[in-house]
This record gives sequence, structure tokens and C-alpha cells, in this order.
Amino acid sequence: MSSGSNSARRVASLLRPSIIDSGVCRSCQETIGRRSYATATPAATESTTTPPVVTPAYTINAGVVLSRPPQITRELEPFEKAFFFYQKRLNERLALPFTKYFYFKRGTPADEDWKKKIQERRTAARDIGKYNAYDSDAWNDELLLGAEQSEPANQIEALVQDAESTANATSQDTSKKEDIPRPYSRITEADQKNDQKSLNRLLSRTLYLLVQSKEGNWKFPTSPVETGETLRLAAERTLSDSAGVNMNTWMVGYHPVGWHQFNAPRAKKGETAQVDASGNKVFFLKSRIMGGQADLSINTQNLKDFKWLAKEELPQYLNTQYYSNIKNMLADR
Amino acid sequence: MSPMRPRPDVCRTTSAIWNRHPPCPPRPVRAHPIQPCAIGIEINELPLTQTFSFRYQFRSPKYDRGPLHPHQPPPESHPSSRLFVPGPFSSPRAEQSYESTVAPDIMTLCYVHTPPGFKPPPKAPRLREWDDSSPYHKNRVLRGPRGGDVLRLLRKPIKFNNIPEIERITIHSYVKNAAAENSTWLHVAGIAVQAISNMRVETFKSKSSVATWGIHPGRDTVAVKAELFGENMYHFLGKLVDVVLPRIKDWEGVKGSSGDSSGNITFGLEPESVAMFPEIEVNYDMYPPKMIPGCHITLHTSAKTDKDARLLLSAMGLPFYGKIVN
Repeated sequence: MSSGSNSARRVASLLRPSIIDSGVCRSCQETIGRRSYATATPAATESTTTPPVVTPAYTINAGVVLSRPPQITRELEPFEKAFFFYQKRLNERLALPFTKYFYFKRGTPADEDWKKKIQERRTAARDIGKYNAYDSDAWNDELLLGAEQSEPANQIEALVQDAESTANATSQDTSKKEDIPRPYSRITEADQKNDQKSLNRLLSRTLYLLVQSKEGNWKFPTSPVETGETLRLAAERTLSDSAGVNMNTWMVGYHPVGWHQFNAPRAKKGETAQVDASGNKVFFLKSRIMGGQADLSINTQNLKDFKWLAKEELPQYLNTQYYSNIKNMLADR
Repeated sequence: MSPMRPRPDVCRTTSAIWNRHPPCPPRPVRAHPIQPCAIGIEINELPLTQTFSFRYQFRSPKYDRGPLHPHQPPPESHPSSRLFVPGPFSSPRAEQSYESTVAPDIMTLCYVHTPPGFKPPPKAPRLREWDDSSPYHKNRVLRGPRGGDVLRLLRKPIKFNNIPEIERITIHSYVKNAAAENSTWLHVAGIAVQAISNMRVETFKSKSSVATWGIHPGRDTVAVKAELFGENMYHFLGKLVDVVLPRIKDWEGVKGSSGDSSGNITFGLEPESVAMFPEIEVNYDMYPPKMIPGCHITLHTSAKTDKDARLLLSAMGLPFYGKIVN
């Protein structure tokens, strides 16, 4: 982040004669400004338009980007699914055939079960559908449009059903039916209810903690840095002041990962600017939640609500300028 | 003319495959040939009628006849190449968690702030000049560093483009009984390492003499090794960290003094631990009793120092204990 040059530009634009209202972009403004210095004539006009020089004083704030990292793998793209499936069938064509006699003794229940299955699916692999790589039809290894075999959910189901039928066929006790546990669903209860306070929502995405102030503004937990305090200490204090101590968190490093600045409202024409109406700069430190949950009951910052949101949900809640300043420090997933 | 040998790391016979089912598949012939201007006809709606079993199929040459011969092999990535290895088949969980969580955190942790205009203090050159006290110093190669001949790797500041990552994993098993008794030990070790790594193993002869085990250098094949890259590597790491290591009794972690001081960390697994890999556990009875080998696992990272490598590996779930060296 080229924070240094940005802030230098802002300061420069504050000190320069105001041409902001003319609808000129910032880089053009600077070019225009430089030209005016080069020419000697506009010195007289400048003295009339220049507002009183304001030295911008900023309050330094520490912000915390508290995030819950992804808990499960991401959803595969359709191309990835198709590619992985194609490679699996290609592998089936290139690999040595399965050595059945090494793994199954003749006449055992497992051997009988194997014979039955190999007649059904015609290949040793259990998750590539009905396909024989050693057949004269082996060239026909591509799926037609809309086929379901390349879906991971279908492949998991095929594997589990295979394990179940093997367990049933080879178990001594024929009265009891074996039940192989399926993997847990990728969609949780919190996903279905869209419970944005829950940490069990959107397991394959990073969730970020947003808090809402009394006025209704959403933001990351933020508070001013006190005298004699480092940014890291201030961030830790911010977290305990806002979202409570009922969380096991880990601050990632001592350096901010991003920053945001909001200036004081600009003085209207005719009024004199107030020097003490200063802007704010927020420096965000990265933090990870390991356990627990946010709790606003004892917060000292007048916060009324919190939410755990994924990156694409943030623009609904955040100010456009705020979001455009912070979006690049958030993870894609 | 030297015959092109199949790659040792894939379990297949090339010639058998080429004689029986060519990997370059003939395309199906449609009932109605599709004209470029035929609008509105879905390709999948047309019935398949027959295949050209007699159609020309390209076959990669069996022998390397030199660069001037007209029959040249296709690139290795082409399915009709004899060296083609299919894959990847999945997107490993460990790799995804590295990309989404570990790598950005390491970049944040390793950031060092320098104010604008900061210039680092000059360092002494790594190789020393000769003091021109003798005329023979002219054009002499530079002297090595003080206190030893080893030039350590240069550690550059960690930025977005050189975040440490795991490059490869080596599984190595030295089977001492292979020489004194019979080769069964080596076969079992090879099969066990293949099972847990999903790669073909290489065997090695002893370089040194061990009289107590009856090992003679250059004569006895005593070790197997598998090298894992990419998908296989991340699947192996995932199994190791999530399934095997947590189940080892009283295992403290990897020793903090392990490592070659250039970012590669090694640790050992006992035979009982190797038997805990799910691939061996499912058919444990297939392996001859007490013949499952122990092994050494080396994690090669792109980190330049052991400290960075430990940071990466502990983030991936590998604990370290004891005195931390380097």
C-alpha cells in the first residue's frame, strides 16, 4: 500500500488552492496545480482564492480485523470438477490393472462381493462411474453435458455406498445392517437460518467481525491510541473493550495491514476553518479468532450489535469510501 | 539409439498400454456431419453410431532417434506421450489452507517496517578479497568467509512473492536387515512407503560399511526413498498432521534443533507410527508381521533459514519442542 504518497497528496491538496468543486480528478488537479506554480501571472488571483492554511491534525486509531479463517475446503469450479474427473479416467487407462488376486483370497465373502461389484461398475475405481478402461469402448471416457458423475457429492455417496455394501456382504452378523457415517453437510444450520452472529456460517469462507455503533454505523472495532501505547497494545485493548474477553484470539504480528482515513467536514465558504476539528486515521491490525464468541454486554464503546460477515457481504454494511479503503487487506476466500 | 525408459515414479507398463489401448482416443462419428452453419442442432442430441477403429493414431516413438528424425515424441504433458503422468485429481485441503490462511499470515508476521529513505547498514562482503601483499594475489579467486568454508543461503526480506512454502517431501527408509537376512525386508519397506506416499520408490545401495549389520558399501541395497511433489505431497502432509502424529503416544513434536540451517527439516517415525497411516491400517494384516519399516521424513521448504521453515511448518500443524537452534 503506497500510504506515504497518498497521504502526501492529501496534505498537498489541502494546502493548495481549492479546485475540487470543478469536477477534476485528483491527478489532473495536481498537474494543474504545478502549472500554476510555473506561470508567474496567477500570483494575484491566488492571493484572493486561497483559504487560510489548515494544518491537518489527525487522531490515530487502532482497528482490529478479527477474522475466522476458512474451516473447510472451497467449492470446486465446474471446470475443476470436469478436469479432475477426466484425469481420473485417464489415470484408469494408463495405470496397471488392479491385482485382484493379491487383495482377495478366492472363495472368501470379500471376493464374491468384489466380483459382483466389478460386474456392475466394470472398473476398480469406485468414484468414476461405469467405465472400463480396458474395453474396446475405452475411448469413450468423456462425460456428456449435465452428467452428475463429476460432482464431488456424488463421488462421496458412491464411496460410502460401496463401503456399506462391502461391510454388509462380509460381516458375520447378517441380521444387522451396517451404517457407514456420511461426512457432515457443508451447509450448516446457521447457513440455512442466515444467522449472521454465528461462527458456524459460511464454513468455506473467511468471516470478519463488524460492530455497530449507537448511531447505526457499521465498522471494524476501533478506538483511539492512548499516550504511551503501541498500536498492538491499543488493538488488543480495543478488542477486549468492544467484543469482550470471552474470545481466544491471536494478533498476527505487530504491523498494521491497512489503514483508513476520514477527514473532518470541510469548512464552508466564508467560515474560518477550525483547526481542532481534526480527521481520523485508523490503522488495522490483523487478528484471528481461535475460540469463543463476541459479547457486547460489557462493552465500553457504546456498541449495540455485531455480525460475522464474509467479504462480499461487507459492502452492504460499510460506507463506500470505508470499504474501498479496506477491501484490499481482506482475503479472497 | 538408447531406449526411452519409462518414468520410475508411475506404476504402469508403457508397451502393454500402447499395444492394447492407445491413449489418443479416436473421436466418435456422428450420424449427421455437423456443418458450421447448422444452427440450432445440439451436439449431444446426435446419436453416436460408430468409431473409427482404423483411424490413424499418433504413437510416440519408442526410441529416441535424435533431433533430426522426423518422428519426434510429443511434449511430456500430452496424453499420447509415453512420459505422461495423469493428474492432479483433487485440490488438497492442506494446500487450500496454506493459500487461504497460512501464507497471508506469514507475510504479515514477517513484515519489517523501514521508514522512507532508510538505507540498511553496509554488510561485509560474503567472500573476502585478498590483501594485495603478494603479486600472486592478482586474479586469485576470492577467499571464503571467516570461521568456515560454508556460504549460508542469503535470506531476503519476505514479501508477497517469496513467502516460504513446502516444495517437496522426502520419505526415506533405511532397512538394516535387508543385507543380513533376505530381501523381503526391502520389498515390504518399499510397499509400505509406496502405500503411504502414492509414489513409486527408488532403492539405494549402501555407501558406507556397517560391519555389525553385515553391510558392505556398493553391494547391499539397503534403503528406499520416495519424493513427493504437489498434490501427493499435500495429501501426505494432511494425513501426517491430522491422522498419524496426534495418535503417537507421548510424542512431543519435532526437535527444535532439527534442520540443515537452510530451511529443510527432518524428523523420524517409528515403525509403530508408520503403521498408523490409514493406507497401511486398513489392510495391516497384509504386511508380514514386524516388517513395517520406520522412516525419515524431510520437509523441503523454500525458506532460506530454519527459523522461517519452522514458522511455516508450525502453522501447517507440526509442533516443535526443545531447544530451538538457528
